Amino acid sequence: MNITASDVILLAHAGFGVLGILAAVWVFVEALNAREENASRIRNASIVVALLMIGAWILGGDWYLHYYPADKALILKGPWPFAHNLFMETKEHLFFLTLILALYLPIAAFEKLHANSHARKMVLWVAMLIVLSGFAIEGFGGVINHGAKLSLARDAGKGAE
Amino acid sequence: MDADTSRLGRAGRSFAVAAAIAIVFNTVIACVKDADKPVKAFMASLSGHDWTTQGIADVVLFVAVGLILWKTSIGEKLSANSFIYLLASAAIVSGAGLFVWYALY
Repeated sequence: MNITASDVILLAHAGFGVLGILAAVWVFVEALNAREENASRIRNASIVVALLMIGAWILGGDWYLHYYPADKALILKGPWPFAHNLFMETKEHLFFLTLILALYLPIAAFEKLHANSHARKMVLWVAMLIVLSGFAIEGFGGVINHGAKLSLARDAGKGAE
Repeated sequence: MDADTSRLGRAGRSFAVAAAIAIVFNTVIACVKDADKPVKAFMASLSGHDWTTQGIADVVLFVAVGLILWKTSIGEKLSANSFIYLLASAAIVSGAGLFVWYALY
């Protein structure tokens, strides 16, 4: 088994992102049922969302800067160059939208959600946008991965001929 | 149980506007740096990579604008829905805008 630092960082980046999405779902469900009793749980969960997205940013940034250039070259010479030109380009910038929303979520969640229906509505919207943009980013990651895989498969096919 | 209110708190209002501004800024700067290579090179010179500079600029803008607005009475008379519409529309339009930009550019 050969697990490199690149593998660990990439998978940890995706893992932090998925956990951040799950935590945002947690916030959404808790906010739907906001009461005085779960107020601190909503606040804590919203902080967890922000911390997980910051972790995804740092890990993804490190991988993008140090390891992605090789994958990028591979994708661009393969059959799916749009995996980089469209999906990676969008993903790397769309992530900041999710990050900003994740940083805002704890601020919105520190309102008394059980007493302020509009503050609750804001938290629901922000959590939902984090989930939707997060899923889009995860899906884009799958397309990028497939773009690299197709390029490698084509090269392997040529080598076998 | 506390009485329901129709307004967000000061932090909620200020940082909602700051988040909307930072999100729109992020999309605009992504398009500008791709269309204008000197801008991209300048951004890269600040931190070693344009993407790193963009991320830091987004977060700094969010925090700075939020703190500045926090000291003002911005939106005190606006309903909470105004801030929700502002932030949600900024996120949806900016997110879709990024995809369309890279699809066409």
